[in-house]
Amino acid sequence: MTTAQPLTIALAGNPNVGKSTLFNALTGGRQHTGNWPGKTIEKKEGWMTLDGQEVMIVDLPGTYSLAAYSVEEIVTRDYLLRDHPSTVIAVADAANLERNLYLVCQLIELGASLIVALNMSDTAQSRGLSIDARKLSDALGGIPVIEMVGTRGIGIEALQKAILQRSPAKSPLVFDYGENIEHEISALQTSIEADPALAAAYPVRWLAIKLLENDSYLNEQLADHAPLLSAAQNAITRITETLGDDPETLLTDKRYTFIGEAAAKSITRAAGNGETASDRADRIITHRILGLPIFLALMWLVFQITANVSAPLIDWVDGLFAGPVSRWVAGLLGMIGLGGSWVESLMVDGVIAGVGGVLVFVPLLMVLYVTISILEDSGYMARAAFVMDRVMRIIGLHGKSFLPLLIGFGCTVPAIYATRTLEHPRDRKLTAFLATFMSCGARLPVYVVFAGVFFGAQSGNVIFALYLLGIFVALITGLVFKRVIYPNKETQSFVMELPPYRVPDPRSILSQMWERTRGFVQNAATIILACSVIVWLLSAMPANFDLSRFNDVEPQESTFGALSGAIAPVLAPAGFGDWQAAGSLITGFIAKEVVIGTMSQIYGVEPVEAVDVPTPSLIDDAGEIVTTFGQAFVLTAQEFVNIVPRTVNIIPGVHMAEANFLGIEAEEEDTTGLSLALTGAFTPLSALAFMVFILLYTPCMTSTAAMRHEFGGRWTLYQIGYTTVIAWAAAVIVYQSGLLLGLGG
Amino acid sequence: MSTAAATTTLRQVLEYFEVGQGAVSLPQLARTLGIERGMLQTMLEYWVRKGKIREVNAPACTTCGTANGCPFIVVLPRQYELVRESDPDQAPACGCGGCH
Repeated sequence: MTTAQPLTIALAGNPNVGKSTLFNALTGGRQHTGNWPGKTIEKKEGWMTLDGQEVMIVDLPGTYSLAAYSVEEIVTRDYLLRDHPSTVIAVADAANLERNLYLVCQLIELGASLIVALNMSDTAQSRGLSIDARKLSDALGGIPVIEMVGTRGIGIEALQKAILQRSPAKSPLVFDYGENIEHEISALQTSIEADPALAAAYPVRWLAIKLLENDSYLNEQLADHAPLLSAAQNAITRITETLGDDPETLLTDKRYTFIGEAAAKSITRAAGNGETASDRADRIITHRILGLPIFLALMWLVFQITANVSAPLIDWVDGLFAGPVSRWVAGLLGMIGLGGSWVESLMVDGVIAGVGGVLVFVPLLMVLYVTISILEDSGYMARAAFVMDRVMRIIGLHGKSFLPLLIGFGCTVPAIYATRTLEHPRDRKLTAFLATFMSCGARLPVYVVFAGVFFGAQSGNVIFALYLLGIFVALITGLVFKRVIYPNKETQSFVMELPPYRVPDPRSILSQMWERTRGFVQNAATIILACSVIVWLLSAMPANFDLSRFNDVEPQESTFGALSGAIAPVLAPAGFGDWQAAGSLITGFIAKEVVIGTMSQIYGVEPVEAVDVPTPSLIDDAGEIVTTFGQAFVLTAQEFVNIVPRTVNIIPGVHMAEANFLGIEAEEEDTTGLSLALTGAFTPLSALAFMVFILLYTPCMTSTAAMRHEFGGRWTLYQIGYTTVIAWAAAVIVYQSGLLLGLGG
Repeated sequence: MSTAAATTTLRQVLEYFEVGQGAVSLPQLARTLGIERGMLQTMLEYWVRKGKIREVNAPACTTCGTANGCPFIVVLPRQYELVRESDPDQAPACGCGGCH
């Protein structure tokens, strides 16, 4: 059928329902792009020929409703009211039909000549949704409903046919809003019809409904119709008083009720009630009881992987700094006549020992960041936050505090700033306070060194236990504060969208791992380098400032030794009362990464090499580096494979053989320089107490500055005092209890 | 027809926030209220537009140049929470975190 009037078709629909795909399929290359008058929103027009007739297609902005809250909604509504397109194609996502039908309802109310293009029908089917287009059409008053898969061109022909038929012109459907509201609509309609110009400019019933909804955009446009607006306001007041809710809410709810009924008539859901695989997984993963053990098991696995898989690469980097790099720097300095000078001492004992001692842990952090990124990218991290939130509420913490605490596992500084998502200053303060007990990534190298030296194969479990201890102390602190400082705080509800689980994207994971590792390395190149130089200077300077003995002083007689020695007695009850441990804790306040670097410097760590072995040449070194890297790489793969047998072997009575790709027997003990020094200075018990102290004591200088910036000096001082006291008390309890239990050896 | 307040589905959605039952996922709330998930989302957006609930955005950290690109910021999905009349505004633009 052809008509004398040119056809104009408008495409309306929610965002991301395939409107543009349909527009392109209908118009091909015959398109023009511009802006809507007075708006920055893109306007797309195109043309197609149907049965010999030119048809203009207008792609309207994506919008969820015609409520005129957003620019997109205003543009769409104004176009439909002023340009009167011949037909409006309401493009709906068949997989989210209920959501999309709200706009369809509003288009029906506006009096548009409608066709519903039920796009993405294949996706709906894959989700177990079967939509009966005929029943849906009946429910919508007989408007055509065309099933489509726009990306594959399915349904385009049927749609074109429906456009040509242009029948029925409008849905006869009129929503019944109930006696009270219908009475007011009717009264307003009478007032509108009394003004012929107004009645000609707007669909009368639609305008009456919009006035009852107190549509601010229309109220502005009708400012010179004061009596009508006044009548509408009076009607709104009457409805609110009579029905106990404002008309907009009641009208909107009525549309939802209609949508629910229409969907019930036309949609058949497969077994599982339309649940996706993610929904089914979430029934277990975010389960009220199972959720927490699953979270803990995954975290345990993360630390097993981190501690074990990275170990060969850590050893390789350690060997690189202790051997070739130190030799090359000393050799270069010797070539320019600085061999044996204080400059060589600064470079080798200060910079390389300090910065190198920290950079050794880059492989460890890379593995940690990869595992964390996998959890994030797969969609699990949102679930973890969800599960942990429940736990925190049980013991009285604010429901939303989980996010800053979760971020605290990476770095305390953004965790403190993340508290801005909480409304009340008191909640922000408390959460930031607790975030400092979440063990940040910078503390991990300390655990890895100590746990590796003193707890061997159990190091992963020890590290995991430390993280749990941090959470436990935070929870207890939170509980105490809630009871003592903030009693009667009500729980707040919130709703979280959970994205579907997905296979992590390797590129995204590598990118996140790189960004996070780069942050750590940048820290090493700045704060840690500066710290290393300062520690070296203070270690080279005699306590009495006798410059003639500069760089020729016993470590404990140096300025650093004297300062540290003054603090050491306080730490003696915790089992680590030597000046070196105290000194590393002092520098740890500047940055936790520095602790190991300082220990490498002040424990007088020397490269572990046989004395009578001749110094290798540069070529020998290069060959050795490549060979050992190859070995480390294979051993890393071996450690990864061995996660399975080690996990299985936890079960009593079960023994699964571990892989040994290179046929190398596991080393009985770690023989790196720092490891040897630590075994002389600590026992397993005092090492554990030291790790507990590192976990709980005051966070780094940057975090403290962030705390002061956000919450002021007094709260920061409380935090420093509290964390230090808690750390000391916990370390003392661990050490003294261990002694009482006979574990001191 | 007489429609009493608090019986409408829209009201039930808002009531969930007002009663204060803690965190819930969108699918869980949809199941609890017997609403299709997509429709629940539009209902939440309705209350957001009405100013009764709000979307919680990702935290911002201003301590270094990376700002929102901080690799340590965990990006969580969209959340909705109740706007209470007694609530102070979010942290002021000056970034001081509010009065101490």
